[in-house]
Amino acid sequence: MTSQHLSDEAVAAFADGVLTGHARARAMRHTAECAECDAAVREQRLAVLALRSAPAPALPSGLVDRLRGLPGTTPLHAPSTTVAPDGSLMLSTMAPTAALVPITRPASARHGHRIRPLATTAALLAVAGVLTSGAVLAEPNAPAPGNGTTLRDVAPSTTTVPISPELTFGTVTLLRPGGR
Amino acid sequence: MTVDSTSDAPVWVPPTWDAVVREHADRVYRLAYRLSGNRADAEDLTQETFVRVFRSLTEYKPGTFEGWLHRITTNLFLDMVRRRQRIRFDALPEDVGDRLAGTGPGPEQSYDQMHLDPEIQAALDDLPPDFRVAVVLCDLEQLSYEEIAATLGIKVGTVRSRIHRGRVLLRAALAHRAPGLRPVEPGVAMSDV
Repeated sequence: MTSQHLSDEAVAAFADGVLTGHARARAMRHTAECAECDAAVREQRLAVLALRSAPAPALPSGLVDRLRGLPGTTPLHAPSTTVAPDGSLMLSTMAPTAALVPITRPASARHGHRIRPLATTAALLAVAGVLTSGAVLAEPNAPAPGNGTTLRDVAPSTTTVPISPELTFGTVTLLRPGGR
Repeated sequence: MTVDSTSDAPVWVPPTWDAVVREHADRVYRLAYRLSGNRADAEDLTQETFVRVFRSLTEYKPGTFEGWLHRITTNLFLDMVRRRQRIRFDALPEDVGDRLAGTGPGPEQSYDQMHLDPEIQAALDDLPPDFRVAVVLCDLEQLSYEEIAATLGIKVGTVRSRIHRGRVLLRAALAHRAPGLRPVEPGVAMSDV
């Protein structure tokens, strides 16, 4: 009556008491007659007992205070943009400060231009560039994407335009075509 | 915090931050400590876990909050281990100081003997990280095989074999270091089933 040895996986599962039905019955039958597998199951349980005999580490009180204070020191969102393709834009390093300082704009600016002329020009140029290349790319295999969707898909990459540090993420998103 | 498992219109109100910390800090720190084996890393991992939680709390989709925390902590730990292995294996570049500066305290292993049985923690630390994670989640955090598989993104069979192998190595390490650690009443645990 030489039944096959239990697999490693079965040994662990049997030791943890999670085998059911046929598998469990077979493991019980086998360990009853195979000292080797029986010992393997015992070793698994001894390891668990040893681990659980270790006292749990206590939470340092200083850490709790730091965790409680996280809302005051953590920007809500991780920066979506870190570096522009040309490596000039490093918003990630400014993100913590940017998020903590409330964005206040002069009332007069709210309905007018929100970004500086230079940035606007650069942005428009970039948009124009993308539109052009997007159109060129889209034309040859014309059937599937309509012009509109292609542009919408491509245009957001214009947010990697070189911009001044005062610009925040919120402002950057204004450059999206049909922006919300 | 209430997690509504019904499918339609799950109304989940994000708990207050204080409540999140109060309820989960202990568990996260314990897991972080058992995985990393030292207090400095455990504190860093715990803090980073809570930073992630804070950032995505409002987008959190009701499931098990604990499972989410386990997943974040475990993945941060594995990231940390891999990063250190990379740094160790690469020839150290010129800017290594800058790169390490962002990762918190160095890898010195200052065991906190006040907090955890040093023999057992040392045996745990000797396990390959993947085995250590599986064993800690199973035997100390008492997650099911399925939960561990979901946490690590691996198959249940892989979870079982890692747990098996991890425990075998652990037993070998403990027997070698301290034979006296065997349970006083060996018959108790294995008479069942």
